[in-house]
Amino acid sequence: MNRKDLLGLRDVSREEITEILDTAERFRSVSERRIKKVPTLRGRTVVTFFMENSTRTRLSFDLAAKRLSADTLGFSASSSATKKGETLMDTARNIDAMKPDAIIIRHSAAGSPHMLAKAFPWSVLNAGDGINEHPSQALLDMLTMRDHLGSLEGKTIAIVGDVYHSRVARSNIYGLTTMGAKVVVAGPGTMCPPSMAHLGVEVRHTIDEVVADADVIMMLRIQRERLQPGMMSTVNEYSHFYGLDLERLKLARPDVLVMHPGPINRGVEMTPDVADSEQSVILEQVTNGVAVRMALLYLLLGGEQTGGEEDAS
Amino acid sequence: MQAETLILRGGRVVCPLNNIDEVMDVVVQNGRVVSLGSTAEEGRVIDCSGCVVAPGFTDIGAELGDPGYLWREDLISGSEAGAAGGFTSIVSSPKTDPVVDTPVAVAELVSRSFELSGARVLVSGAITTGLDGEHLAELGLMVESGAVALSDGRTTMMHTGLLRRALDYARPFGVPVILRPGDTELEGSGVMHEGEVSTQIGLRGIPAAAEEIGVARLIALSALTGCRLHLSQITTAGSVKQIRAAKEDGVRVTAAVPARHLIMTDRAVDQSVYDTSTRLLPPLRSESDRLACVAGVKDGVIDCVTADHVPLTRIEKEVEYMYATPGAMGLETAFSATLEGLGGDLISTVRALSVAPANVIGKRAALEADAAADLVVFDPSVSISVEGPFRSRGLNEPLKGRVLPGKIVMTIRDGCIIYGPKRD
Repeated sequence: MNRKDLLGLRDVSREEITEILDTAERFRSVSERRIKKVPTLRGRTVVTFFMENSTRTRLSFDLAAKRLSADTLGFSASSSATKKGETLMDTARNIDAMKPDAIIIRHSAAGSPHMLAKAFPWSVLNAGDGINEHPSQALLDMLTMRDHLGSLEGKTIAIVGDVYHSRVARSNIYGLTTMGAKVVVAGPGTMCPPSMAHLGVEVRHTIDEVVADADVIMMLRIQRERLQPGMMSTVNEYSHFYGLDLERLKLARPDVLVMHPGPINRGVEMTPDVADSEQSVILEQVTNGVAVRMALLYLLLGGEQTGGEEDAS
Repeated sequence: MQAETLILRGGRVVCPLNNIDEVMDVVVQNGRVVSLGSTAEEGRVIDCSGCVVAPGFTDIGAELGDPGYLWREDLISGSEAGAAGGFTSIVSSPKTDPVVDTPVAVAELVSRSFELSGARVLVSGAITTGLDGEHLAELGLMVESGAVALSDGRTTMMHTGLLRRALDYARPFGVPVILRPGDTELEGSGVMHEGEVSTQIGLRGIPAAAEEIGVARLIALSALTGCRLHLSQITTAGSVKQIRAAKEDGVRVTAAVPARHLIMTDRAVDQSVYDTSTRLLPPLRSESDRLACVAGVKDGVIDCVTADHVPLTRIEKEVEYMYATPGAMGLETAFSATLEGLGGDLISTVRALSVAPANVIGKRAALEADAAADLVVFDPSVSISVEGPFRSRGLNEPLKGRVLPGKIVMTIRDGCIIYGPKRD
């Protein structure tokens, strides 16, 4: 893969996605060893820069960098100078002056990682920008699907919930369609507007319609803290139309995969018994997250210079 | 400024109001056009062969930032940017700090504008104090102090009852009311046109309907009150359609489209990778909207093309896309953008930049004996590459890097050369 940054999956080719997933598969074994560390990125500096809250993604990137022996440092919105009025570009110039190799950024404004990528020489990894993209999440989702389905070609993936305002969904839609999968989305009219069709997906409005044919059901979290007034009525009504419970799961193929990017609102988008069911691969997603992020750091930072191939095996 | 006798020799004189489109000389003396076609007078000869000589351009609603936003623009830099763009008159927006909402503020700007050596700056007064959309300003006293129009700038007045009363109140003072059609509730937190591109690149959208609802409100209120309304920025196919119908019904509305909207679409946000110079209000629209606006200008439903000049600097633009202040500078590129957008149609270009906007503020932009010598000389066969430095203090030019047709050679206001070679 020959690129400086990973800003989204919209412009990432099938070959590149395959290379990332193949590399991630090889890195997976590192996390299963007693000594979970390879020297691949020794001496490289990776900064995690989270302007929005995150547990999973920040920990996962941090762990990925550490398992590759990179030096990591992180700062978040509450500790950063932006609280004192510094602009993002000025903060980035200061980070730049400390000579990092890669920055992993999460920001509420779409396009922020792109702004840094254009202005600075280091690699930028988008860990979520507004409602735009969250490419590493989609890649770990695709790795999890590939583990179970073999290939993504021709498979049907149902994404349910607030698809329009979900960066996880948008990245998955780009990645999955590039890999030849069919994506069907369902959710309230405010969350799955007709314009979703511009992304090459089918839009439906009941969960029952999409569950039956799906190889994978991806449930999205209702981001109650971000909803504008009028986006939905009550949690009760939402669950009635779009929640996944065992009854609905029976409509699906027995080997369907149930996924969720986390954190789950148990009882809202899915019942606890579904989250913990045999079909659920939610925790596998988390495990794969570390491997995918190791692969991304390795591929973007050119780990091959230190013989990363052998290190990874 | 000293007005000298100028003989503009051998240019193609274009004056839509008098149906003139032919090669002839224009003689300017004591700030006025004295003759067309005759070369008897002695004076400084300016070779205009290959160029078009037309009435100078007028822009309505430029944000000149003076007072209060002097890092963006002031009267002097705005006036000179206008001259460089072929404009002889600019109606300034009341969006300053403090807002131009009192007769004293109007009078102060009017008196300062006499000292300018670029385009003439005319003043519009705010309809509501502080542009708050709630409290009526002293509209009549501002007109007495020299305001040529009343406007709430880019702010959309959402209080329909007050807006109706403001239009009733303004009507007897005889000046046009300039408003941007929009619905702030529907615009919401949108930062670009809502459509395919906004969906693809994850930016919140402003639907065309937000503008069209505003257009419908303003047309209905103009019909109700009889007040002359100028819709300062319209950008959608639906707006063009409504304005066409309103004019057929005899409603007294005029409208302008920003020049860049004739040649740019929402794809620019994607192609520039979230470049904040593409963050505009109203936003860059879809291709079908663009085509409807071009057609609207060509057939005269859209009277004017505006520079939609909002100079901004790194302070407002070197930030995340959603936090960037919307707007772009335009005075120095509006002419070339218009010529490009209208496919080289010179007559429509002059009509939309000179004749129609002057008419909105009750002026006659024509080349005829005894007319004020407000002229522009441009060469339509030369292309320009849009790049700085600009005379405006703004840095936000979304057309930067583009090659566009038409070059302003000279701008003459009140018989004085305000842009171009001072001496041969």
